[in-house]
Amino acid sequence: MSGYSVPQSQVGRPTAWWGMTILIASEATLFGTFIGTYYYLRFKTPTWPPGGIPEPKLVVPLVMLAVLVSTTVPMRLAATAARTGRLAATRLLIAVALVVQSGYFAYEVHDFSDQLHRFDITRNAYSSIYYTLLGADHAHVLLGVLFNLWLLGKLARGFTRYRIHAVQAIAWYWLAVNVLTIAVIGTLLSARA
Amino acid sequence: MAIATPPTPAAAERMERLEQIWESRPGILGWLTTTDHKRIGLLYFWTTLALFGAGGAEALLIRTQLAQPNQHVVSPQTFDELFSMHGITMIFFFIIPMTTGAFGNYLLPLLLGARDMAFPRMNALSYWIFLASAIFIYTSLFIGKAPNAGWFNYVPLASKQFNPGHNIDFYCLGIIFNSIASTLTAGQFIVTIFKSRAPGMSLNRMPLFCFAMLAASFGLLFALPALSADTTFLFLDRNVGTHFFDASHGGSALLWQHLFWIFGHPEVYILIVPAFGIATSIIPAFTQRRLVAFPLVAVAELLVVFVGFGVWAHHMYAVGMTTISMIFFAAATAMVVIPSTIQVFAWCMSFITGFARFKTPLLFIAGFIFMFVTGGLTGIMFVAIPFDQQVTDTYFIVAHFHYIIFGAAVFPIFGGMYYWFPKVTGKLYFERPGQISFWIIFVGTNLLFFPMHIVGLLGMTRRVSTYPSGLGWTAYNLAETIGGFVTLAGILLLLGNLFVSYFRGPPAGPDPWHGPTLEWTTSSPPPEYDFAVIPRVTSAYANWDPVDREADRLNLADGLLMLEHGHEQPTVTPVDGRLAEIAQMPHESPWPPVLALALALVFTMLLIGLYGVAGIMGLVCLLALAGWHSQEPPE
Repeated sequence: MSGYSVPQSQVGRPTAWWGMTILIASEATLFGTFIGTYYYLRFKTPTWPPGGIPEPKLVVPLVMLAVLVSTTVPMRLAATAARTGRLAATRLLIAVALVVQSGYFAYEVHDFSDQLHRFDITRNAYSSIYYTLLGADHAHVLLGVLFNLWLLGKLARGFTRYRIHAVQAIAWYWLAVNVLTIAVIGTLLSARA
Repeated sequence: MAIATPPTPAAAERMERLEQIWESRPGILGWLTTTDHKRIGLLYFWTTLALFGAGGAEALLIRTQLAQPNQHVVSPQTFDELFSMHGITMIFFFIIPMTTGAFGNYLLPLLLGARDMAFPRMNALSYWIFLASAIFIYTSLFIGKAPNAGWFNYVPLASKQFNPGHNIDFYCLGIIFNSIASTLTAGQFIVTIFKSRAPGMSLNRMPLFCFAMLAASFGLLFALPALSADTTFLFLDRNVGTHFFDASHGGSALLWQHLFWIFGHPEVYILIVPAFGIATSIIPAFTQRRLVAFPLVAVAELLVVFVGFGVWAHHMYAVGMTTISMIFFAAATAMVVIPSTIQVFAWCMSFITGFARFKTPLLFIAGFIFMFVTGGLTGIMFVAIPFDQQVTDTYFIVAHFHYIIFGAAVFPIFGGMYYWFPKVTGKLYFERPGQISFWIIFVGTNLLFFPMHIVGLLGMTRRVSTYPSGLGWTAYNLAETIGGFVTLAGILLLLGNLFVSYFRGPPAGPDPWHGPTLEWTTSSPPPEYDFAVIPRVTSAYANWDPVDREADRLNLADGLLMLEHGHEQPTVTPVDGRLAEIAQMPHESPWPPVLALALALVFTMLLIGLYGVAGIMGLVCLLALAGWHSQEPPE
């Protein structure tokens, strides 16, 4: 009746996906600037880390990184389950991811304050960019955890198109945060090289 | 020409239904909760116009102080605050929000054949955040703690050690706050341009104005994070005790300059590219020909911003970089000439090969081309590194960038105000006073800015609050000040003309210029749903395609493509413009102003050092977001 023949299946990405892409582009540029700053400061400093600060630990951060990145799998699966209308599977997958992500976040907050006791942010330029970069990354993980909590609350009352798009957009957010975390941890560990 | 009156009773009934679905709440509540892109554009317009007045008053105070040697109109401290606030206001609070927020918001959906932006509530949020950030930064001036280290705010002058007051904290937080609004607008435009065009408008059929807005939006999206990072570092240095810019602890003062100009140079193009877009709208209308070299101009608009990301260090030739990096940046800077010149030639050839009617809007565009070429010629001189090192921080630089920013960015804004005035108000402005206002502004700005080249070469540095007599600068400075007041007179005549025309002007009708693009197919002012029928588009000059407009009229008579069952808006595939779905758009929301208010409290708490309270306010922001999303579109 409208005069348009609307395609039956979804053509192209929903605007929610586009909106999330814009957010990710902006945040990725911000992290790019932070990482650029890290190397700018590094290349003008003879010893790195300077001022008797110990090198960052290697094994534990890499293990934790692997734990966080592994949640990409349930998040992607949740997006697929949402698209095919499987409500219970979507909820379960998001809940599984949420548990792992919350555990990661709790450990990292503990570790962050632990490190602050050993050398604090005001020591020198290295400590300044170290904690800024790490803190910014943790903040993005926290936001993702809150997204997932909110999603579970929304999905408790079933699916709507709007919520399915939200699952897809948030899965996309988590993929981006995981990639950003790899870049951040890689940058910080490069101090050992 | 246009669809102003319904041809059949059935069509009239459907239009009435559209009216009911899209109409805003009456009164002040309607304005607070509006998501209509036209209303948001008007809110942006009035707010930025007021801020233009503030920035202009600051400029005239500066010029009054400098009119004669050894004057004491304002103290040196006040002078510092005046020139800092002048720069900050004109760049962050006038030109960007005027071109994107006001012109972009009002016009973009109308040129794309859309009924609203892709994210209407986010659009409202962008305005309320912008307004809050403007109030935030102007509070500093009223309590006597305005930013005082220039708009580019170099450290160590801006460090806590040399600038202990709250002045620079206002700068850091105000700029971050404002960037949020600009980022929202930029993202909004990108998605709207790719997703909300009228079906059939593939990218090669999109008007050049929209390409310009796309270029500016990409620029904002990727340039602003560098500024946010920079101001965040400075805020941390000043308030937490980090050492990003402190050379004695491994930091670097030059880091500030690099990050600032990685943002700051693309910013220059972000300021003028929308002006190019306005020019490419006005030129076809008043030459009645399609713009010469359409694809080249479209690519050049995007390219100028892209190249703009690789030239930042030409602001830093005096800081002692290696020769090789200076040569790299000089070469990149020279490259900017290519896309700029393509556009200048295309504009000029359109004048020559068309039938130019020099009405007021086109006069402003002609003036813009003159000013842009003049400012561009001095810009090219800075590619010669030794010359640049000689004139760095002199009035020669001030002359150059005012030719670009006032001449090339603000002239088209004035031209656009005249050009779209009939569309926005439904009234015609008075032509003769309009032309006089152009000539007064043109003479005034040249008198204001041209002598700055000369005093700059004579050695007058920028940002001095006064100067001794006997250096040969006095007459030039007096001329500049007179030019400033002449410009003011011209602007007042312009505003007065539009003000009187609003009440006394003859009715304009839907299409007074026989304009090229879709906004001229709908009534003046446009209805709240923009288009009764989603228009058919087969070229970038849709209003000049009589067959398509006839098809729209037939569709209206048959009640086709009217989408009168809700807040409906077709979305399309990004490149080809094929119909993807009929989306249900949100309408009226109280959450954008609430969220902006909560965010304003976050920044206020950060300013006064109550970080815990700021965190709580951050949680309130998240709750407001949850409230925002509690309202879902109907299935």
